[in-house]
Parts: sequence; C-alpha cells; structure tokens
Amino acid sequence: MNKKRKSFSLLLISLVALSLIVSACGGNKADNSAAKGNSGKSEKPVELIWYTIGAPQKDLKRVVDEVNKYTLEKINATIDMKMIDFGDYTQKMQVMAASGEPMDIMFTSSWAFDYVQNARKGAFMELDDLLSKYGKGITDTLDPAFLEGSKVDGHNYAIPANKELPAQEVWRFNKELLDKYNLDISKATTMESLEPMLKTIKENEPGITPYAMLKDFMPVMPFDYVIEKMPMAVYMDTKDYKVVNILETPEAKSTLETVRKFYQAGYVSPEVATTTSVDDLYKSGKWFMDRAATQPLADNLWSASYGYPVVSTPASQPYIYNWSVMGSMQAISANSEHPEKAMEFLNLLNTDSYLRNLIDSGIEGVHYEKVNDNTVKNLADAKNYDMPTFSLGNVMITYLNEGDPENKWDEFKKFNASGINAPLLGFNFDTSAVTNEIAAVQNVKEEFWSSLMTGTVDPNEYLAKANEKFKAAGLDKIIAEAQKQIDEWRAANNK
Amino acid sequence: MKMVGGFFRDIIKNKVLLLMVLPGALWFLFFSYMPMFGTIIAFKQYRFSRDGFWASIVNSKWVGLDNFKFLFSTNDAYIITRNTLLYNVAFIIIGLILSVLMAVVLSEIANKRLAKVYQTGMFLPYFLSWVIVGYFAFSFLSSERGLLNQVFKSLGWESMQWYNDPKVWPYILILVYLWKAVGYNSVVYLAAIMGIDKSLYEAAMIDGASKFQQIRNITIPLLTPIITIMTLLAVGKIFYADFGLFYQVPRDSGTLYSVTNVIDTYVYRGLKTTGEIGMSTAAGLYQSVVGFVLVMTSNYIVRKFDKDSALF
Repeated sequence: MNKKRKSFSLLLISLVALSLIVSACGGNKADNSAAKGNSGKSEKPVELIWYTIGAPQKDLKRVVDEVNKYTLEKINATIDMKMIDFGDYTQKMQVMAASGEPMDIMFTSSWAFDYVQNARKGAFMELDDLLSKYGKGITDTLDPAFLEGSKVDGHNYAIPANKELPAQEVWRFNKELLDKYNLDISKATTMESLEPMLKTIKENEPGITPYAMLKDFMPVMPFDYVIEKMPMAVYMDTKDYKVVNILETPEAKSTLETVRKFYQAGYVSPEVATTTSVDDLYKSGKWFMDRAATQPLADNLWSASYGYPVVSTPASQPYIYNWSVMGSMQAISANSEHPEKAMEFLNLLNTDSYLRNLIDSGIEGVHYEKVNDNTVKNLADAKNYDMPTFSLGNVMITYLNEGDPENKWDEFKKFNASGINAPLLGFNFDTSAVTNEIAAVQNVKEEFWSSLMTGTVDPNEYLAKANEKFKAAGLDKIIAEAQKQIDEWRAANNK
Repeated sequence: MKMVGGFFRDIIKNKVLLLMVLPGALWFLFFSYMPMFGTIIAFKQYRFSRDGFWASIVNSKWVGLDNFKFLFSTNDAYIITRNTLLYNVAFIIIGLILSVLMAVVLSEIANKRLAKVYQTGMFLPYFLSWVIVGYFAFSFLSSERGLLNQVFKSLGWESMQWYNDPKVWPYILILVYLWKAVGYNSVVYLAAIMGIDKSLYEAAMIDGASKFQQIRNITIPLLTPIITIMTLLAVGKIFYADFGLFYQVPRDSGTLYSVTNVIDTYVYRGLKTTGEIGMSTAAGLYQSVVGFVLVMTSNYIVRKFDKDSALF
C-alpha cells in the first residue's frame, strides 16, 4: 500500500514537472514570436486588439472589415475589436488586465473598469510622450480641460472622448401629468420645493408612482466627494478644503429628513431601497417625476426613447467633476506591443469623421443612409449595429440624427463652457495606504447608504448608528489620509 | 534505480486503472493544484506588470499579513463569522434530516412511477440559479404585489415590509436553501438505499418487523457511512457561504445585513470597487485553511469512533 502510494506521488510530481516545462516552453515561444513581430513592424501591418464596452453587435465583424480597409491604407494597421457588455465589463477587464491578456486599446472610465485605480496599478501605459508625438490631432480638437482633468499623478494614461464636460442634474417630469394638473415646472428647484407637486399626484393618481426612485439615489447636496458615493467630501464652496464626513453635516441631516418625509408620504415606492430598475414605469408612463443627469437637448432624447413627452428643469449647477471628465476614455494597455500604432489609431479615431462614423453608425447604405451632408437616418439593419456613441471617442464629429437641430454640437460646446470647476477637480485620492479601511468602510456604507438616502429609515435614528459604525471601520483614518493628500495637492497646484 | 524500475513496473501492471484515474487526476492537477501557487498573491500587493501574470506576481511587493487585516479589523468580523457558521450548521443538520427522510419516503412509495415524478419535481430547484430563486422569493415577499402581503391584506392583517425586517430572514434563508438543496441531496441517499440488499428486508418481514422497525434497524444503520461522508464534506465547506443565497435572495438590502452578511458577501462588498485581488485571495485562503483544519479534526473524531466511516 505504502509503496504504491509513493509511486503514485512520484507520478504526480513528474506530471507537475512535465506540465511546468510545457507551459514554460509555451511562454518562451510567445515571447519569441512577439520579438519577431516587433522587428518586422516597419513593413508588416500591425493588428491592434481593442476592448470596448457595450453589447456585442451582430454586424461587428462586417463593420470592422470595412474599418480595416481604411486604417490599413491610412496608418498600416488593422483592428480586432472585442465588445464586452456593460454589466460584465469591469469584472472581465479586471481579470484580463491582472492576468496579462494581450491587448492594445481598452475602454476605461470613472464608472466602469475604474481609470484612476487601474492607472495606479499599472494597467495602462503612460501617454505623455506618445500624445505629443502621435496625438497632435487629439490635443488640437479636445477641450484642454479633458486632458488636464484626467491626469493621474501628473500624467495622462487615457484619451478622453470629446463630449459633455460638466455634469448637471435635472428634475424630469412626465409632461402629460404636468399638463393635466397644470403644474408649474419652474417651481421645482430644491428637494423641498417638490412637495406640493408630488402631493397633488399622490392624491389624484393612485396608480402612478409620484417619484420614480432607485436604490442608488442620492439627494443633491453641496459636496464634492473624495470617492463617489462614499461619505468623505469637501463643501462645494470650500475655501479651506477641509474634508468632512457628510453624514455629520447639518445639510445632509435636513435633506435626508425631507427624503424621509417623501418616503413616509408614499411618494416613492416602499421598496425603493432594493429597487434596481424602474424601466417598467418608464415604459408604461406610470411615473410623474425623477432626477437624471442631463446633456444638451436631452429632453428630445428621452421623449423619443419613451414615446411620450418628457421635460426637465435644472436641479443643480453644471459642475465639472473628476468623474464627469473621466466619463469615457480609451487607454493603451501597459503590455501593448504597438503603443505607437495604437496612439496613431486613437488620433485618427478622434479626428477622422469617416472612421469615427463608420465605427459608430456602421456602413452607409446598410445601417444608415444620408439625409444630407451630416445628417443620417437609420435603416432597418441599424439594429444589428447599435453602438454606444459616447464610448468610442470624439462625439462631436459624429453625424446628426434626423430631428437633431443643426447647432447640436454648438450647444454642447456652450454647455461645456458653462461648467464650473468642482473644488477637487484634478485631485485623485491614492487609497493604497488605507485599503483595509476602505474595504471595511465600504461594507458599512453598503449597509446604511441606500436605506438612509432613500428615506427608508429615519435619519434621526440611523445617522448616529451609521456614523458610529463608520468610525469603528476607520473612516477617520481615511479622512485624515485624504486631508493629507489634498493639502499636498493644494500646495503643489497653488489652489 | 531499483525504485524507478519498480515504478515503471507498477505503471505497466496497473495501466488500465491508472488510465481510468488519469482524466480526474489531470483535472485536479490543472484546476486545483496548479492554482495553489496563486496563494502567494495573498501576501502581496498585486500590481500589473507588462510582462504578464507571472511577472506581475514576482514583481509585486510583499506585504506580509496586511491583506488579511480587513477581515478582522471591525466588529463585523464577529457578525460575518457567526452568520456563516450558524447558517451552515443549520443547513447541514436540517438538510441532513430532511434529505434522509425524503429518501426513505421516496423509497417506500409503492407506485414507482409516481415516486419518479416526486423525485424529479424535488430535484428541479437545484438547477435554478440563485438569481431566479431570488425572484421567486420576491414574488412572495414583495411589499406591494407579493403573494404573502396580498393574502395578509385579504385577511385584514397589516402588510409586512419583508425586506426591511431582519427578524424573519434567518427562517426565510433556511427555508429557501432547503427548498433548493434537499431534493438533490436526497437522491444521493436514495441511491444508497436502492443498493441495500433486499433480502435483509425480506428476512425482517418474515420476523414480523414493522415498516418503521425496518427503517430504524436496516435502512438507517446501512446509510450511516454515506451520511458521515456527506457530512464530513459539508463540514469542510462550513466557512464558505453560498454567495447567491445571501446576496440575491435578500436583494442586497442594507437593513438586513445583520442577519445576511456572510464572509463571501463581506469580501465582495469590500472589494468590488477597489478590485484588490491580494485581499480577495487572502479571504479565500483563510476560508480554505479553516475548512482544511475542520475536515481533519472531524475526520479524526469520526475515525476514533468508527474507522470504516471515516474519509481516510
């Protein structure tokens, strides 16, 4: 018995050794071929692997073939475009970047596959030199605030898309109900000011949800957050850049009391703290109002997608935040074999109207047809190639859709110019000294955040409970670390 | 030299058996043993290197036990450990009793076709994903349109805010788990019962034993080894919580965390934004080590009492 066991373990060991040798050989081979690829680069066309966000499209290959014909001629490169759906993108890219999967270009942002963290972890290549050498077109067309605002520790690691720069919140209303009860939209300013309108709807329309709210709702409060949806923040009008715990401020208390009042009055669904989607309400039109992030001409967009008129009025100022600047970017992978070509391609994508529109809308005559020079109409096949426009570079060189006003992009530029810089614009918190505390605070946040922010629990009771737990989890240490970094950042940037 | 010669002779002698073991052995080798090298990530601050995965591991900074700290740094550590352990103990004990009971009942049903129908019906929930089970539960517990609250309303009772009431969730979670798992486990015991020599029952019947006596004196004793093995295996996983059950079914409702937060959901919530794989590896390693120790101890205890029932 014993002898058999020994020989079996010997077999096991030899198998391990064998497989290690095999895998080592495999690794070497890959390296060799890579080296070869590099040396022959000047003549052979280069293939760039590009991961981007969005539901994979049926006609992707067809369009990419068309793209490759063009890029081959222009920059002697082809692309291999891979799409990963919105819900999976962060996780899959996280794993692929960690395991060193070969890729050249990838989508990153403040809300999916986090840009700042992954730049710090070394997932992206530093682009400063490449940008000045091969990215002339980008620096010329892009609003300088984008490149300035997306620097991490003083360097650029990704190319932001030229699009709306500030973020502004608006109150949205279902216009049919607004008209029916003759309610005045201009009266909607603060959260408290909504009460009479919501009351009218609640009393007269039993089947309607007055306020369509989700579990990640957060009232507009005058703060710029160190990390989004975490309680560390500075006041919007701060002079001394003092980091506070927002849940200890009087502003938060009074706002949350208002939300609580709404919850108790039944203006929001009793299940709001676990509601992740209200699409059913939008589809059936059984909602009166909600809050959303806007962009120029957004009312048209919403009305078209819901099939009934939606109107809006500002709920906040247009502020330029870190996260709004980093809303959509393309980075070059740290392990890219062809960073120069990748930059050339990104440059072309952001400046060349033909290429940008081909990637965005598909092939003319198949997916769309031109109405006039820069306005297009979708054809039936457009559903086989429906890309998220904002995620693929400069949106201001894309075609207008039928019904868009001629001055759409001027409106965008005007909107961008109207943006007010948030106090922490350009500051990126380096969490590596407090990772344990962040993980613990994150858990406390998950426990209390939704129920407090949606009014599901009484703030007078739960704010104290939450703060006590936040303290135990190390929030003070995070605030101290953030304060230290912000002070250093202010000193370095003369803020 | 002699040993090597003996080694090859052994291989040739047992080639058929070894060949049969090979696929399974390879599977374990590639998916269980090779990844074990990755546990060193638990002691590193993992940072990407442009030369691939191995280079990333080698070049990352050693941080000692820092990655384990977040698991124990707050008073949540007590809650998640307690929840994980108590729920699993409840699942093991109640699950065992119900599964064996179901298996015995199924084996005693005279109409074999009907028994098959019941068996399939009970088996089916096991194949549903937790997301779907979560929605099943939601259709009962939703405060506005849920079945239970509709019934309450028609009876004139006050409706319940199920997803805001931590008191009821230990029962709901155990109930949902049992609904999903018992059918599957009972099949294992049913197969064991089918393997029991029928002549034993015939002899008992001739001796005048009632059905109940037959079950107590033949079925249960003969099931003991398989019950022990199944329980030992479950004990090894006692530090792993079923993520879907504790995340999807309570709809990630914050007010319920005191009774639904377990090690796996805690790790997920803490790290989903930072994506520190060093820390998640640390959590996984901690669970494995505790599981390993528990299996060894319980196997040792079992062996003391009944050598044949032990795993090894």
